[in-house]
Amino acid sequence: MTDLGRFIVATLCGLALAGMVHIGAILAMPFFAEGDALSRLRATSASNNAELLDGTAAGWLPTPDPAVMVGACAYNLDEGPLRISARARGLFQSVSLHGRGSGVYYALTDRAAVRGALDLVIMTQRQLDLTQATEDEDEPSRDLRIVAPNRTGFVIVRVLAAFPSQRAAAIDAVRAVGCTTDPLPNES
Amino acid sequence: MLALSRSLPPLAYALYSLALALILGLGTAYWSVRGTYPLGRTQTQGWTAFPKLGARDVDPYARAILARTGDIPLGLGEGIALLAEADSEGRALDAACRYRISGITPVARFWTLTLYGPDGRPVRTELERSGFTSAEVVRDAEGHFEIALARLPQAGNWLQTPAQGRLRAILRLYDTPVAGSLSWLDPGSLPTVRREGCP
Repeated sequence: MTDLGRFIVATLCGLALAGMVHIGAILAMPFFAEGDALSRLRATSASNNAELLDGTAAGWLPTPDPAVMVGACAYNLDEGPLRISARARGLFQSVSLHGRGSGVYYALTDRAAVRGALDLVIMTQRQLDLTQATEDEDEPSRDLRIVAPNRTGFVIVRVLAAFPSQRAAAIDAVRAVGCTTDPLPNES
Repeated sequence: MLALSRSLPPLAYALYSLALALILGLGTAYWSVRGTYPLGRTQTQGWTAFPKLGARDVDPYARAILARTGDIPLGLGEGIALLAEADSEGRALDAACRYRISGITPVARFWTLTLYGPDGRPVRTELERSGFTSAEVVRDAEGHFEIALARLPQAGNWLQTPAQGRLRAILRLYDTPVAGSLSWLDPGSLPTVRREGCP
């Protein structure tokens, strides 16, 4: 092979490898990013209630909606299923579930509330199987159960203050949303 | 030159290949997540939306950009955000000009319209108002609204613009059935951004 031939083969190999590096880097970015929402929200997993993100001040959240109060709880399902409980309070309220590197996997608004209450339980497939296996068939659960795509992620609560006078009520509504860990079903 | 390169061992070619792969691969990856979302754009009546951002099947580039910016998109079940960076004739929104955003919005339980500066923060002006919600805005008898964007006070719904800089308007429709079908909206069902004049 001539030198030019070797050079062309090496260049083509480099281009093919560059494509793989590109795809790998794009796919890996959500797992190595430090400025992503999950990394910034990790501290909120300690609380049993959603923590208010003050996005309108000098917050990190890009293009926040000044009329919407945002709360978050990060979760790690290793500790058990996460129960989110919210009360409908007449304000627009929505809950969205964001998985690590998998986007929004579930979202609903207070329209889905049953008798004024929204109860969601986020669990892994294994936790769901265990819960269903140990469940009393005569007393079916009323929880809305959602299987998370992976173990870590975060929950976002949005409450709209349609008038500035509703801000305080909206902030209260955000802080009143519970994010508690349910006990793991007994493995037997 | 040729005599020199003939003496290059195969290792040199392998290193050249690897260096090319790393520089090109990482460089293009970085370049493609620097700006706005490259895929999944829906453009309709002067507004731009990225509906897939709020869905489970968000594309890997958008996912990487979300990880870089820390943005938290609206889920499709919550609502949809529509962005306008230009007026009805395609000229970029400039804080020095006067604009009128008028029309109706698609069915939604609530909507908000917010003005942002070039830094992505809501505009800060003496009026201390950066947007309107559907409950606040004053409409005419047919349900149409008009919002004036200007530096000096205007009659009706007025949003004060900062002294200078580029502007972006985001219309967020909360709890709306149209989030997944924006491209099938009837003409005229989204507000228009008209330029009224520039100094």
